[in-house]
Amino acid sequence: MTSIWDSKSLRLIAAGIVVINGFFPAVWILLTSLKTESELVSKPITYWPHNPTLANYVQAFTDQPLLKYLGNSVAVALSATVFSLLVSALAAYAIARLNLKRRQLILTCIVASSMFPLVTLLVPIFETMRTVGLLNSYTALVLPYIVLNLPVCTLVLVSFFQSIPKDLENAAMIDGCTRMGALVKVVIPLAAPGVFTAGILAFVNSWDEFLLALSLNSNPNFRTLPVGITLYQGEFTFPWPIISAALIVAIVPIAVLIAIFQERVVGGLTQGGLKG
Amino acid sequence: MAGTTTWDRMRDPSEKTLGFLLLAPAFLLLALIVVYPIGKLIWNSFYDLRLSGGGGVKFVGFENYVLVFRDPDFWNAAKNTVLITLITVPGALVVGLGLALLANLPFKHKWPVRLALLLPWALPLAFAGLIFAWFFHTEYGVVNDVVRRVAAPSEPAMWLLRPNWAFAAICLTIIWKTSSFMALILLAGLQMIPKSLYEAAEVDGASKVQQFWQITIPMLMPSIIVALIFRTITALQTFDIPYTMTKGGPGNSTETLAMLIHKTTIDYLDVGYGSTLAVCMFVLSMFVTAFYLKRIGRNA
Repeated sequence: MTSIWDSKSLRLIAAGIVVINGFFPAVWILLTSLKTESELVSKPITYWPHNPTLANYVQAFTDQPLLKYLGNSVAVALSATVFSLLVSALAAYAIARLNLKRRQLILTCIVASSMFPLVTLLVPIFETMRTVGLLNSYTALVLPYIVLNLPVCTLVLVSFFQSIPKDLENAAMIDGCTRMGALVKVVIPLAAPGVFTAGILAFVNSWDEFLLALSLNSNPNFRTLPVGITLYQGEFTFPWPIISAALIVAIVPIAVLIAIFQERVVGGLTQGGLKG
Repeated sequence: MAGTTTWDRMRDPSEKTLGFLLLAPAFLLLALIVVYPIGKLIWNSFYDLRLSGGGGVKFVGFENYVLVFRDPDFWNAAKNTVLITLITVPGALVVGLGLALLANLPFKHKWPVRLALLLPWALPLAFAGLIFAWFFHTEYGVVNDVVRRVAAPSEPAMWLLRPNWAFAAICLTIIWKTSSFMALILLAGLQMIPKSLYEAAEVDGASKVQQFWQITIPMLMPSIIVALIFRTITALQTFDIPYTMTKGGPGNSTETLAMLIHKTTIDYLDVGYGSTLAVCMFVLSMFVTAFYLKRIGRNA
């Protein structure tokens, strides 16, 4: 008996459904960003822009400091990623490699921390940051983001460290390397793909975070992209073509990143997910 | 080893010392960002603590809790949060399973399908809210345009301007945004099911539907449960999408607990009451998580 899905055209339809489901919002926003304000409010609405224009992109950068938001997002997400990797790599190595009692409990502690609703932590974090004068700073976001990334990064890295044969490390130590030397010269280079995967996940997580960014960094000089773009809307006005242009500017970097590294991202996500 | 110096010990510390040193940064951060705030949160909830207008700190015992239980805004937000969870978690599971089954077909090029599942996952929730607010725009939204072409209703639906319609629009948006992650987890689960099981079922003459219920679903159960737990925990914290789509409106018909806590603390600077609300939300999510874990324990 042959499956109905053996037919090529049906497979094409299946792929089409998945692809349209994933891409249509981005495509629609792209089309909107190319329309003029007058075309946007004409009825019936048009699907394909009649007079494509890039004016909305210019306005997206001049109406609001979009470049500043972009810079803030990159700075916050990159530093959060670097520190998340550092902290979780050390912890993951200890859990995967050292002869510790209760290593499962330690891992559970780290993973369970992700179960606490972030919004409940928001109140005391806001109060503390306000007291120590860290509201409107990169530090205010980077510190909580490290903790936010800790569970998934640690899970991914633990399984990568476990996949590196212990003999390699032992051989290095017999050859006169210290334990730290073996870690730096043997384990870390071999774990590089894992570090990279965890890094992408941490970057996307930090890039996307909204609640803390909205609450802790309200000053325009420290707003990240998601917060900044939400504020394009006025009290009663929604400048949709300009918002769309800003959204495209914000989506493209992350879309390119995951397009290039999609296999790693999927691997890391499902690994972190299935073991959690 | 005889004659080890302090230097040797520093370069080659014992397992225990090394473990302590390596785990210290992680646990220090957890203490600072998770444990201390939870303690502070519970402490705050017993005080009248407002950061606005130079108000002092006054111990009020359980007064805040009494106020929460009498607060219609709290019950409204709790109802909305639970409803969103009950609707969007099964919704995302069904849509995600559908996407995973489609994406699991033997395609020649896998990347377009994979990217189509990754893109909604990587898109910030706040952006999904903005984009779908535009979709659901009464006059110029693409949703009403499609509805007009297909069904030609007498007047367009005022999606985000009517409580129930706004609620539906928000749930649809959350389902779209979260089903991709579900699909990715379930797809990984599907790919681990041995092909031989299906071949054996074919030989025994089982239909495709029977194979789905007798092989696919049971074999997929571990992945489904993991995905459900993840999704439920995040659904209870729903904030970004209703915030960007309706700001909780019209009225407070789409306000979630997370939005109420955010408003009370950040906008009104009422830290005492905000903390009490957060403790209540914390207890609610603990209950739900415990319920889940217990159910899973029974199934496993």
